[in-house]
Amino acid sequence: MGDAWSDMWTYLGSDAAWTGRNGLPLLLWAQLKLAFAAMAIATVLAIPVAAFLGHVRRGTLLAVSIVNIGRAVPTYGVVALVLPFSLRWGFGLGFWPTLVALVLLAIPPIFTNTYTGVRGVPADAVEAASGMGMRARELLRKVEVPAALPLILTGLRVSAVQVMATATLGAVVGYRCLGTPIVIGMQRQNKGPLLAASILVAALALGTDGLFALVQRLLVPWRRQPAS
Amino acid sequence: MKRQHIVAGLTVLILFAATACGDDDDTDASSSGNEQREGPTVLIGAQEFGESAILAEVYSQALEAQGFQTDIVEVGGFRDVLFDSFDNGDVNLAPEYVASELNFLQEGSATSDVDESLGLLQPALEERDLTALEPSAAVDTNTFVMLTDQSDELSIASLSDLAENGADLTLGAPPDCEENAFCLPGLQQVYGLDLSANFTPLELDLIPDSLEGGAIDVGVFLSTSGRLTEDQFTVLEDDQGLLAADNVFPLASQELVDAYGGDLDTALNAVSAELDTEGLIAMNARYDIDGDDPDQIAADWLADHDLT
Amino acid sequence: MTLLARGPLIDWEWIGEHLDVIRAATVEHLQLTAIAVGIGFALSMALALLALQWRWSYPLLAGFCSVLYSIPSLALFGILVPITGLGTVPAVIALVGYTLLILLRNIVAGIEGVPAPVREAADGMGFEHWRRLARVDLPLALPAIIAGLRIATVTTIGLVTITAYVGLGGYGDLIREGLRRQSAPQASTLVILGTGLSVVMAVVFDLLFVGVEHLATPWARRPRLAPIEPMEPVPVAAIPAGGSLSDG
Repeated sequence: MGDAWSDMWTYLGSDAAWTGRNGLPLLLWAQLKLAFAAMAIATVLAIPVAAFLGHVRRGTLLAVSIVNIGRAVPTYGVVALVLPFSLRWGFGLGFWPTLVALVLLAIPPIFTNTYTGVRGVPADAVEAASGMGMRARELLRKVEVPAALPLILTGLRVSAVQVMATATLGAVVGYRCLGTPIVIGMQRQNKGPLLAASILVAALALGTDGLFALVQRLLVPWRRQPAS
Repeated sequence: MKRQHIVAGLTVLILFAATACGDDDDTDASSSGNEQREGPTVLIGAQEFGESAILAEVYSQALEAQGFQTDIVEVGGFRDVLFDSFDNGDVNLAPEYVASELNFLQEGSATSDVDESLGLLQPALEERDLTALEPSAAVDTNTFVMLTDQSDELSIASLSDLAENGADLTLGAPPDCEENAFCLPGLQQVYGLDLSANFTPLELDLIPDSLEGGAIDVGVFLSTSGRLTEDQFTVLEDDQGLLAADNVFPLASQELVDAYGGDLDTALNAVSAELDTEGLIAMNARYDIDGDDPDQIAADWLADHDLT
Repeated sequence: MTLLARGPLIDWEWIGEHLDVIRAATVEHLQLTAIAVGIGFALSMALALLALQWRWSYPLLAGFCSVLYSIPSLALFGILVPITGLGTVPAVIALVGYTLLILLRNIVAGIEGVPAPVREAADGMGFEHWRRLARVDLPLALPAIIAGLRIATVTTIGLVTITAYVGLGGYGDLIREGLRRQSAPQASTLVILGTGLSVVMAVVFDLLFVGVEHLATPWARRPRLAPIEPMEPVPVAAIPAGGSLSDG
């Protein structure tokens, strides 16, 4: 281990670690790009549908199943499954297969929490608002979603951390991100880049969690109490 | 309470039931009726690509037919990891390539003459308590391949052409390309071509499809790859002689060779005498295109050459 | 020759000829899961008992487990491999690490969820601390513990596939082989098989645990819709597996 540690410092002190297409900054940026894209798509797909279903109070089974199945599907397998199609349809390696897998990974927590949150808005609040003449869409926007915000944010937070962490897998299908030095390093003797990238990814995941915790605290200063 | 106990017990049982179903791996060693030799088990290292696995099987089965006990060890990486494995005794035999080996130990020394290269290789190996047995006629170097259509379009038929017209193309190659003298450094040195900015590390087996799908422009193939038989791929000519005498040879630890007198040498030299480039291409074609398993491929080849 | 034209989507002949490979992968997958969850459970139980004894330690312990949980699996392997080499050791260490947080949280939450009157009654009947723990608290905490084991097991089954990158993999080994040998006709078979079998195993164990949960809680329970909680060191409310909003 002493070897790997000193290899890592040597690597970090070298030009190769910071410049060029293999440099850590670019790898980090690639990881962030992929994670953002996946979260954006998952959010756009999941929140409207989940909010609507929560509003009409339908689809609990769907929400429960999505989570259960989502937890059971290995992301690694999905990436590998999409790859040949991606190659064949001209989408290339790396980015797109991983994106598909990450979107699938991100949806369940966002979906379930949005659904649960919207659905859990107290019935009398909804009645009062609709009694004031609000129509469904307005209701959603002004009453239900804001009330559900804590849970929605929580769902986003869980998804974001998972996505940021799992984006590392892109490396196994040729996406140049922080996973690349890790996957390559497994097969090589010099473990310096592997160690550096690993620590960086770990920090990234923790940082994402911390960031969302901060956002939650800012946007939703009151602690969520579960309905009982 | 009792019910809870049953439930708890069941839960634990479920969790551990699987371990009870574990099976014991049979060791690969099996003698085919000949006298079992007394001596250390031959631990054959296979690297992370198909041809290595096939050759490891060839050595393994040929030796077992002569009464040796063998085991195949997947080293999980490339040459540098392989050397580590030799060092710590996990491996004492491996199929290797003369010129690449020499360049790994002494950068820049390899030539396109196998005898010359071997002459330089042996002393370098001796320093590490290793030795090279007789090389075969089978040569496997890196080749640089493009899609025929693209090569026509860009008028790139050789590596010199690539240096002139293709400096910004993407290269797909195995992860050791950045340190492999017959990959990026070699291109730089011999052709003045620097493709490192657009280099994508890929598993060897993934490269043909990536090239076909247009995800990369230039791919590194093994010169013995089965997929080179396809018209859509064009091998770029190595007009300035970057790629040297990469003959397949058995790399062994001195200790192992000494333990068996000359018997190990004899057995392996017999294999090397039969191995040629065409045969290797045919074996790789079965692996790459037909998807056959290395052990079956090796068994058939050995049977065809009366080595089992 | 076009991509995907090579070989059928699922090559049944190949499967038939390689049942031993599939069986070996299944066994390896099960073993890794069992070992990881087993060790994880034992460790979490120990940590939980510590945390219950010395309350101040809980945020620390849970915080540590939470950090561990956040580290991506590939990265955790990356940190372990230089120390341990490849193989079972880093795989199990990483897999165990991922089970700790959910199990610790659920065990603690479950035991803390034992109603005070019950505890007092037990104390009043002369149960000394550890006996009460074993014969009253733990059995009552069983639903929470089983819920935690359920999540931990299903999660672990999915993570085992990634151990392919330290030389193991279980079904992940099939996936990896399929990824590597794109040119071979069995490539898609391998990936589909590896992914599919992993999902099947996860679902089977999930259902098994649902069955166990029903046995443990004889009163009827409809599917509980629980929002997903982030893995915070201290749960927002001490309710098993995150908060629950009763269904309708």
